[in-house]
Amino acid sequence: MQLRRVITVLIMVTILVVPFVAFRVLPEIGDPNSAPNSHVTDYYIEHTISECNSPNMVTSIIVDYRAFDTMFETTVMFLSGVAVILILSNKPKKRDDMFRKFNPCTTNTGPSIFKTVNKDVMISIIEPLILIYAIYVLFHGEVSLGGGFQAGALIGMTYLLDVMVVKRKDRDIFNYSLERSVSVAGTGPFIYAVGGILGLIGGGLFMEFEAIPLPIEAPELHSIGILIVEVGVTVGVMCTIITILKAIMDRVSFDDDND
Amino acid sequence: MINAFLAQDGIYLLTVILLGLGLAGIIVCNNYMKKLICMNIMQVAVIFFFLCLGQKNGGTIPVAMDTIIHAADYINPLPHGLMLTAIVVSLGTTGVGLALLTRIWERFGTLEEDEIIQVKGEDEV
Amino acid sequence: MLLLQALLLMGLIAITISIIFGKNILITVIVYNAFSFITMFLYIVMGAPDVAFTEAVIGVISTVYFLMILKNVYRKSK
Repeated sequence: MQLRRVITVLIMVTILVVPFVAFRVLPEIGDPNSAPNSHVTDYYIEHTISECNSPNMVTSIIVDYRAFDTMFETTVMFLSGVAVILILSNKPKKRDDMFRKFNPCTTNTGPSIFKTVNKDVMISIIEPLILIYAIYVLFHGEVSLGGGFQAGALIGMTYLLDVMVVKRKDRDIFNYSLERSVSVAGTGPFIYAVGGILGLIGGGLFMEFEAIPLPIEAPELHSIGILIVEVGVTVGVMCTIITILKAIMDRVSFDDDND
Repeated sequence: MINAFLAQDGIYLLTVILLGLGLAGIIVCNNYMKKLICMNIMQVAVIFFFLCLGQKNGGTIPVAMDTIIHAADYINPLPHGLMLTAIVVSLGTTGVGLALLTRIWERFGTLEEDEIIQVKGEDEV
Repeated sequence: MLLLQALLLMGLIAITISIIFGKNILITVIVYNAFSFITMFLYIVMGAPDVAFTEAVIGVISTVYFLMILKNVYRKSK
């Protein structure tokens, strides 16, 4: 325990002393001519409408200029869902009585969680609003703020609200099993890759959206390619959130189990 | 005067202090859940450092208003794109860490480090 | 703008210290949600609204994950 304190103090002193030497190397904040602001990003900013047909530069960078990065980030999300399922895949053993002394909150008083929320307001007003907003963010991601990641997270949050409100046995509208949600999460990177391969079919490069074999003008074709890719990202992120939630919820005992 | 100090040294210094506090929390804290929260705090410090490099004096948010675009009018959007994916992946790492915490709780009945070391010592003897 | 960023960063540092030395883990998780909110505000001040949007949603979801684990776990820390 004493050694740990000494190591901590050493690390803090090192971290606080080293920057006074190294800060001169870093650029001044807000300088328009500094190295991170000068070379390739000027090209990105000036060609985002003429090349990508999307006024939101962040979206054009995520799904167009740096599309490989986003593709494998979606794969990383899917793999983290698979990792959670693999870690929690064993049958829970009966807990030893000798460890029971560490757990004082075995008796719960008070109402259950799902009884304390107004179900009518939550299900009929708030959840449809969030879903409509998520769809808007998904389809307008290239024009205004937002994109695939935000839409997926919003839809996952709707599922999370629904889980908190509705009793576990009564839930049949919006209920995914664990296997189904993780397999749908796997189709997210697959849709992304299909969007890239469509460019190959039309005779272009991988992820070259102008070459998609459809009889439409080139700028709208680019928007369609971006939309396909963003739908893939949305499906991957949404189902990974649902997978982690379900995998943890199967292990945690809530007070509505016995009602 | 104070703006010049902040632009050259101050913001970087505060970011480094935040990073160091996160690292110190991982070492000092005795509870595994607090260690996980401190890991997230370290990640926020790194993301903030990347976003610092993209700021530009006199620039607006990176959504193009017209077809005629000058690069000096907009903030650098490249760090935003990179860090957006990093934030989403941090949710995945938090989920994996919480799954590991659930297994530790089922095996040992506690999340305190010294109690776990004690129970492990009794098992080996 | 840089002054506002510095003030918000000092708030983040204060919240981090309170997380490290806190005793009750439930309060720690709620304070972590406040940390996420101030981070979102900081991203807006820096001119990164996309990142702020993502941080707002992801912060809420990770807080709910932490709270679900806390349902089973002993809440006091030493």
